[in-house]
Amino acid sequence: MNYLRHVLDHLRKDLRLEWRSRDSINGMLFFALLVVVVFGLAFDPTSYPTTTRQISGGILWVALLFASMTALNQSWARELRNQVLEAQRMAPSPASALFLGKAIANMLFVLVVEAVLGPIFIIFFNLHALGNLWLLALILPLGTWALVVNGTFFAALGLRARNRELLLPLLLLPISLPALLAMVQATNGVLTADLDSIQIATWIKQLAGYDVIFTTICILFFETVLNAE
Amino acid sequence: MEQRNPTLRGVAWLWFGIAIAVLVVGFRQAIFLTPTDAAQGDVGRIFYYHVPIAMWSLLFPYLNFAASLAYLYWRRRDPLKALTADAFALASAEVAVVYASITLITGSIWGRAAWGIWWAWDARLTSMLLLWLLYASYLLLRRFSPTGQSHTLAAVLSVFAAVDVPIVYMSIRWWRTQHPAPVFGGGPNSGMDKSMLPAFFWNLAGWAIWGIFILLFRFALERRRQLADQEAALQAIEASLEIPQ
Amino acid sequence: MTWHSLFALSTMEHRHLLVAYAAVLIIQGGYAGWTAWNWLRLKDTRH
Repeated sequence: MNYLRHVLDHLRKDLRLEWRSRDSINGMLFFALLVVVVFGLAFDPTSYPTTTRQISGGILWVALLFASMTALNQSWARELRNQVLEAQRMAPSPASALFLGKAIANMLFVLVVEAVLGPIFIIFFNLHALGNLWLLALILPLGTWALVVNGTFFAALGLRARNRELLLPLLLLPISLPALLAMVQATNGVLTADLDSIQIATWIKQLAGYDVIFTTICILFFETVLNAE
Repeated sequence: MEQRNPTLRGVAWLWFGIAIAVLVVGFRQAIFLTPTDAAQGDVGRIFYYHVPIAMWSLLFPYLNFAASLAYLYWRRRDPLKALTADAFALASAEVAVVYASITLITGSIWGRAAWGIWWAWDARLTSMLLLWLLYASYLLLRRFSPTGQSHTLAAVLSVFAAVDVPIVYMSIRWWRTQHPAPVFGGGPNSGMDKSMLPAFFWNLAGWAIWGIFILLFRFALERRRQLADQEAALQAIEASLEIPQ
Repeated sequence: MTWHSLFALSTMEHRHLLVAYAAVLIIQGGYAGWTAWNWLRLKDTRH
């Protein structure tokens, strides 16, 4: 399975680079923490537990969305130094393997942030989930993948653009809105138990469908973007 | 291209004239001839501009999608055709944004006057807003990406946007039927009285003809700019060849 | 409706109607005008 080996090589490279400096993960963690604190100050979670539960899904995903954008911009910056990108273009391995390796690496970083952020979230907002919390183990990875796969792609798209950091959110947010809708609704449904299991299942299926469609498109078009000149 | 010019110009002016004529008739129908709506009063006349433009705003994204696919297909095979496709993609994206902006603005004004709210997060409005966002981001990408790459990157984004539009529509429609939003007294096409039809159809036709005119005009402008760039590049090359050794 | 009543700015409904129609004409006209202006500007450099 040559392709898989290429993906794993790219993945290992990104993980190793990140492990040495730990820029991305630290940045993300701190940013997400700040977002949680700011929202905690903006309204009083303790006095309004019901409202808190109803909006906490949205806040969690907003925090993750903005935190992951800081990491996504940086993830391709590594390839710009020392003309690594030219070397990648000339390498015989398929370009989409580079994309997948990087996307999976970014996914792992964001999952680490989620794992840390989750308990902090629960503590700061005194969250007491009313629904089946195990569903979150399904919703969080699916939602994260939706953000990361498109984010990694659009970060590569804007790589040599003038306003690279500005371009990523401008492109990513409109495209991701259906996925954001699904993940926020599903998370809220689990936390507030306002939605029954069939409705949550439908949101999860929509999210999974979105993931499949856009992963396919990203893999198909990455080669075009890498060799855009 | 030089020989075709006079005929093409003539056709263009004629088409423009027809567009203006039909729009004037439509305006007259909408404002003066159609009886005032019993429920909404005169404000309901916004319908005759808002709905046709909203309907046509759904067409231009698909034109953009087709042109972007054509661009990606011809990019390596026939660069000149690809460039033409790219010009068409840009023109159709711009016109899509123009039509979507008008839809959102007139809808908002109408909503405020007729129902007291500027906006509502129901299926139709949210989908239109997202359509606007997607194609506005397409135009921004074209502006911000480095020259040489912008065509390809924008074409790829256009594919994403075109796939996203139906997904957005379906997901939001499902969301909004879960939590029903305030109903606006039936959609605009339910219960269109016979007296409303002439004004509606004249404006539908008028804005279609105008849309085609402005799309092709913008396309011609972009082609002209591309050809001017090519001329300039050619002159630069020739100038560099004339430098004595 | 007449020309007179179209421009009667006394009621909110009429103001909104006028603003909406004006917005459409201004946006479409503005875009067409911008395209035309660029068209005329670009014409000079070619021949």
